Amino acid sequence: MAKKKPSFLKNWVESPSWFRAFLIGVALCAAAFLANIALSEVRPYNAWGLTYGTLAAVLMAIVALYGLRRRTTNVALKLRLGRAQPWLQFHLYAGALCLLLTLMHSGFHVPKGILTWWLWVLSIWVTASGLFGALLQRWIPTILASGLGNEVLYERIPDLITEIKDKAKTLAETCADPVWDFYKKNLARALEAPQPRLIYYVDVTGGIQGRMKQFDYLRRLLSPEERDKLNKLEALYKTKLEIDAHFTLQRTLRGWLYLHVPVSLVLLVLVAFHIFTILYY
Amino acid sequence: MAKREKKGTFGAALLSVSKKYIFPDRRRAMMAIGGLAGLALLFFFVADVLFIKSSLTSSGPLSSYHATFEKQCEKCHDMQTHEVSSDNCKACHEKVSRDFALEVYTMPAHYVYRSDSTSRRNRASEAEHPCHTCHPEHLGRETLITVVPDSRCTGSACHNFGSLTQAESAKRADGQNKLHPQFDFIAQSIPDDSTLIFTHVRHVDEVMKTKKLTDIERACLYCHNPQPDGKHFDAVEYDKHCDLCHLNADAKTERLPIRSGDAAGVVTLETIRASREPGTSWAFYLNPNEIRPSGDKLVKQPLYHEDPWIMENLKRTRRLLYPDRGLADLLKTSATLSSLKDRASAKAVYQEGVQVLQDYATGLRGQPQENVQGDLAKIDTLLSRMRRRLRDQPATAADLRLFFEKPEVNPQLDAIQIRDYNDFINSLLSKETCQKCHLLAEASIARVRKEQNTLMRAEFDHRAHVLHKRCLECHTEIPITVVVNDTVRVNDFKKPEVEKKDRSVMQNLPSIDNCTECHNPSQSSNKCVTCHYFHPNKTNRSNLLLYLD
Repeated sequence: MAKKKPSFLKNWVESPSWFRAFLIGVALCAAAFLANIALSEVRPYNAWGLTYGTLAAVLMAIVALYGLRRRTTNVALKLRLGRAQPWLQFHLYAGALCLLLTLMHSGFHVPKGILTWWLWVLSIWVTASGLFGALLQRWIPTILASGLGNEVLYERIPDLITEIKDKAKTLAETCADPVWDFYKKNLARALEAPQPRLIYYVDVTGGIQGRMKQFDYLRRLLSPEERDKLNKLEALYKTKLEIDAHFTLQRTLRGWLYLHVPVSLVLLVLVAFHIFTILYY
Repeated sequence: MAKREKKGTFGAALLSVSKKYIFPDRRRAMMAIGGLAGLALLFFFVADVLFIKSSLTSSGPLSSYHATFEKQCEKCHDMQTHEVSSDNCKACHEKVSRDFALEVYTMPAHYVYRSDSTSRRNRASEAEHPCHTCHPEHLGRETLITVVPDSRCTGSACHNFGSLTQAESAKRADGQNKLHPQFDFIAQSIPDDSTLIFTHVRHVDEVMKTKKLTDIERACLYCHNPQPDGKHFDAVEYDKHCDLCHLNADAKTERLPIRSGDAAGVVTLETIRASREPGTSWAFYLNPNEIRPSGDKLVKQPLYHEDPWIMENLKRTRRLLYPDRGLADLLKTSATLSSLKDRASAKAVYQEGVQVLQDYATGLRGQPQENVQGDLAKIDTLLSRMRRRLRDQPATAADLRLFFEKPEVNPQLDAIQIRDYNDFINSLLSKETCQKCHLLAEASIARVRKEQNTLMRAEFDHRAHVLHKRCLECHTEIPITVVVNDTVRVNDFKKPEVEKKDRSVMQNLPSIDNCTECHNPSQSSNKCVTCHYFHPNKTNRSNLLLYLD
């Protein structure tokens, strides 16, 4: 019988083996740091501190290769660099370990120098934004798949919205005055463009059922033919609302990278300069 | 029909399926933002290195001690190698220099410091630690760079016994701290090198009665007078502490024979005056009536501490017994120290020798001859240099040329003559007067170590501790007190068990465990520098002053 994963691991840890390796790494770092405290002083410039710093820099360089790997898929396939998933796992856990080593390098103190202060703060920022992104990657796809009837690609959303708008307008023009008035008053503006809303972070359906109620009131007053057209308008509107939910959440899923990637590049540049100044002086 | 209608669409709204493959958005903008920001920062920092003197790239502000050099990297850094050299430190901290002599900030000075082993003075220069290894900079304006962590001392091969910082976790089964060593005098059972016949309990009892004291510890302070800083005590002085009871007006010598030829005996005051030997000017000021005949012998009354007539006769007899004492002949008391490690005593011996030479020179000043006055000027210069050297450099017992392991007895004397001389010395310094307190060694009064510092390598501040513990709570080895009916009294010095313990050789000091009761990780500071100094006394003047000589 297969061993059952603990619920925590099941929900949040994609690869338990990588997670265990990470925990071992953390334990080794903690043991080294305790030995450092017992045997010597905690300073960035002594043998202990330089070892932490060097390891952190090496890890950071390897971790940064993930970005390169993502942007050179064809080359990676040719060179048989393996699937993207292990690279991502390494990127995640080694990045977290890199922050731990950086903090050990600084003795868990805020550095006094301007460059070192920026390195310290950016290291925390990059790791925190990376972990935030990993959290979003686990959370948003799950809720998108759980409560919406349609799945759409983020890149297609503008086209689909235009299509819905056009279809709805064409349909509404063939309708009787009550439906046309209803369309102009309640739907036309809502179908113009994607509308991100904060409610989708809390409730992915975003109160869609409540909005559909207005169709029910009108439907009772219409002939069967007009009622059929109204049903089609309702389907278009509902789809638009679901696309709005996709737009809101998928935009977040992509947007967090702006918090992570540019700052990571700045950090890499500053780390390189930090190493240069250490060697120079 | 419905199937045909739905073909190429998806969802209830029948939206069209894409006719081509959709590629994810490129993230060039994101990369461009990061790259440009990184390059801008890099440019900024490089410009800082080249034109703004690296204030941004330094690992932190300089401490307030060196803050004025914040923008003057070249003051500390070698501009070629960019390293920090101790040579740059000596521009201000000239005591770092090894160019001229043993400077207080050098490692050899640390080796000699209190170890008194001059053989360690010449340790190779590669053992020298650059200043910045212990006093790192760029750690912030408020950083105290003189506070050096214990690991600098204990983490190396130098003091690898550890420190008090782990005292609690490092107790051995016998309760001793395995990290910090026990004090030498306890670990090696080294007795107090007192050369006095002295009992504490008897004296405390006597002082309390004489001064009508009720607090026993006030009796302690009668002799142990704290120095103004409260850390240490002044040296015990006869005139201040002993004179009240000892050598009263009725103190006199035994009947002493007058020397005839080489036979043992005293030299009369008239003979001393007539000899006009160096250092005998006192003879012209001494009241001749103090030395009176008693039959064919002489008696001196009253007697003084370091009585010049007694000391002169002792010196003349000693010269007969031990003719080859060399420079030690300048000293009033024994040239042999009980502890060769005692630098304070060694320095005192030197100072005494210099003072005697100064007295000899003073005695010659009245002579008008040109050659004598010329020699006196040279002698004054030499004595001045000797004094300065004594003040500035750690004189050690190993340096002293005044010391002899044991002077050799005059080989021309036979056993009977030697016995006669020793008998004479015993009657000159009788057991009722001098030998009541002093011991004799090689026809000399054994040198008394007046200084009260016992710890060789550590500093102890009495003032910092006396509010927390009373004197007799720590100094418990000699049973000075006894509790009778809830009253603390002076112990009975006549009791055999008290008499057995109350001897001057007793080290009446607590062990290291007494220190670790409070100096442990959870209470008072237990860092090395709390009790130990790495550098010798930094107030010693700089050797730059040598140029002024």
